[in-house]
Amino acid sequence: MTEVGEQAQLRTLSADEVATLRHDMRTPVNHIVGYCELLLEDAEGPDHAARRERLEESLRAVRDALEMINASLSPGGHDVTQRDVDALYDRLREPHARIMESMAALLTPQDHATVDEEFSADVRKIRNATEQLVAAKRSASIEPAATLEREVPATETISPEGRGTILIVDDEPNNRAVLERHLERQGYTVVSAGDGAKALEIVQRASCDVVLLDVRMPGMDGREVLRRIKQDPATRDIPVVMISAADDLSTIAACIEAGADDFLPKPFDQVILRARVGASIEKKRLRNLEVDYLRQVERVAEAATAVERGVYAAGSLAQVAERGDALGRLARVFDSMAVGVKAREQRLQDHVTNLRREMDEAKRSAAATGDTQEPDDGALIPGELFANRYQITRVVGRGGMGMVYKARDRELAEDVAIKTLRSNAMSDDPTVVERFKTEIRLARRISHRNVVRTHDLGEHDGAYYVTMEYVEGITVRELIDMRGHLSVPSTLGIAQQLAASLEVAHGQGVIHRDIKPQNMLLDPDGVLKVMDFGIARLAQHTSTLTQAGMVIGTPAYMAPEQLLAEEVDARSDLYAVGVVLYECLTGALPFEGASPIALIAKVLHTVPVSPAERDGSVPLPLSGLVMRLLDKEPGGRPGSAGELRELLAELG
Amino acid sequence: MSRVLLVEDNEMNRDMLSRRLRKKGFEVDMALDGAQGVEMARSGAYDIVLMDMSLPVIDGWEATRQLRAAPETQTIPIIALTAHAMSGDRDKAMDAGCSDYDTKPVEIDRLLLKMNTLLGVA
Repeated sequence: MTEVGEQAQLRTLSADEVATLRHDMRTPVNHIVGYCELLLEDAEGPDHAARRERLEESLRAVRDALEMINASLSPGGHDVTQRDVDALYDRLREPHARIMESMAALLTPQDHATVDEEFSADVRKIRNATEQLVAAKRSASIEPAATLEREVPATETISPEGRGTILIVDDEPNNRAVLERHLERQGYTVVSAGDGAKALEIVQRASCDVVLLDVRMPGMDGREVLRRIKQDPATRDIPVVMISAADDLSTIAACIEAGADDFLPKPFDQVILRARVGASIEKKRLRNLEVDYLRQVERVAEAATAVERGVYAAGSLAQVAERGDALGRLARVFDSMAVGVKAREQRLQDHVTNLRREMDEAKRSAAATGDTQEPDDGALIPGELFANRYQITRVVGRGGMGMVYKARDRELAEDVAIKTLRSNAMSDDPTVVERFKTEIRLARRISHRNVVRTHDLGEHDGAYYVTMEYVEGITVRELIDMRGHLSVPSTLGIAQQLAASLEVAHGQGVIHRDIKPQNMLLDPDGVLKVMDFGIARLAQHTSTLTQAGMVIGTPAYMAPEQLLAEEVDARSDLYAVGVVLYECLTGALPFEGASPIALIAKVLHTVPVSPAERDGSVPLPLSGLVMRLLDKEPGGRPGSAGELRELLAELG
Repeated sequence: MSRVLLVEDNEMNRDMLSRRLRKKGFEVDMALDGAQGVEMARSGAYDIVLMDMSLPVIDGWEATRQLRAAPETQTIPIIALTAHAMSGDRDKAMDAGCSDYDTKPVEIDRLLLKMNTLLGVA
């Protein structure tokens, strides 16, 4: 019924219906005017002063009514809905009451005037017409009312769930009985309370859809009950309709201000009662839908958090996904995406596990053969205090640009890695140094599990050094050297983490420029940590080609455009990734040259043998992706690290 | 004493208006629908016709056209009464051949003025 009621409320009346309604309403108005004037003409003389006063008051009232009708149903005016018509009937109650009051007074003999038979007959005609004015509603709201009757025959038993539960709160047993009878006949489940305390108890205990609440009650009055219902978050959404005598408008206003949804004037008019209860039930239904919707939105938001934490369980949103609306679609898409993300993460985890196994095997065999770190010939000796802050623990590596030490930061009581940069490895061009500093500043901002955190740039004894997060582990260089080459899953584990680190760095505007296995650390959990972001910026490009074997190490990982000192961008790093993966899969570099010049010539001009051609166990899609990364033209490579990560994820 | 034919289907309207007109000194006869109104008017016994426009059998518009079409009623003053008060009603009434037009609720003084004007009394 509620849905039908809502539709009926919003239905726009046709021009003909409006005209008919206007006619039906103006007819009684005409009668009232006519008879009042007729009686006024007869009511001359001082004896009839009181009578004239009543008649004139009735004329004013009926003209008010006419104005209301004209305003609401003006020909050619705005669209008229059933709601407008109902509102008009509500407004007409006031002039109706005024006329009825006057007519009642006219039938009571007053002053010296006698009430003759003809006069009373005319007064009764006015009363009938006045009743017709508001009663016209029954015939005027023909269609919706008729529809309702058909939809919900009064005699049929309707399931309580279908219509809703109504709580009637009134201290007057007769009022309760009348309301109960009406509402039960319409199929509502009715619960009654004779006082405020009982009402609150029921509201909190049972689920009510609407409360009909009498304003005037002994003990806790309706306003107080209303206040408590609206104060409690558990009950505040229940529509409350105040029951009140029509003359108690100020109380009604106060109640509406306090959160009442509507009011029901006494004596009860069946049509009004049905309309208001129906509207309130509909309101509650819509509110229920809204609350349900918000709850489900919350579920989707919770699912998003769960995905972030890696604890999303597939199908958690099944209930929301059943919705036919946009939220349901969102839940379905989200679920499938989350499941995809989870599967990917699972695959990556598998790859990393594989990688760890390979690392462990490599370490074991290294220990067996007694392969150890070369004794260091660096400038710093373990135990020495460097830059008055870092106590050198040991040498952990050496590269083209300088030495790497593990050291203890005495100020922060933390292990750090220090990379010293040989002064002869660095550009003496001040603008290059400035750009380098800028890049280090940017690199410091990168915070990602696959990036070695850069702490600081310092200068000591005329040479720069960079301090970084110390990572216990081995480099990918060492792993490849120990294993010869890596399995496909291990390679994918490295590749996906490498792509993730570059995606973040590139997003911060940092190009690595020197991606190579020596710069890639694997911690004991198989987590890849890329180091030296931004540091290659300091290299003297011009010396690369002339001073063989120094400065940036081997040009084997450098993209053609980088070797030619052309514009370098994110895609130059992707080329280096291609070389690293090639090496992981095959244990060999794509290009080998007897001299740097020969190597560079090959990088610039020769297409390498694909990984799959070298090793039949390398899957063709992976081999093909590596070859794309090695494209001599940046435009032939994947467009970004993010795109590469997607491509790798598709490979498994 | 002018004789008025009131063509009106609504009983209360008839009662009310006829009583008020009689009090003002008119002789009032009543017809309940358009067809009866036309028939009575053709008798030639009336000085003026007050014609409600929403009538059963034949409506006021049609009744007016028929009265205008017949030689014996061609010139009789007809005042259209309508409750609709649609903006086009006045023109429609005049087009149909009415002499004047008034809306309900009837303001008796205004109606009397119109009637007297048409009757040449004023």
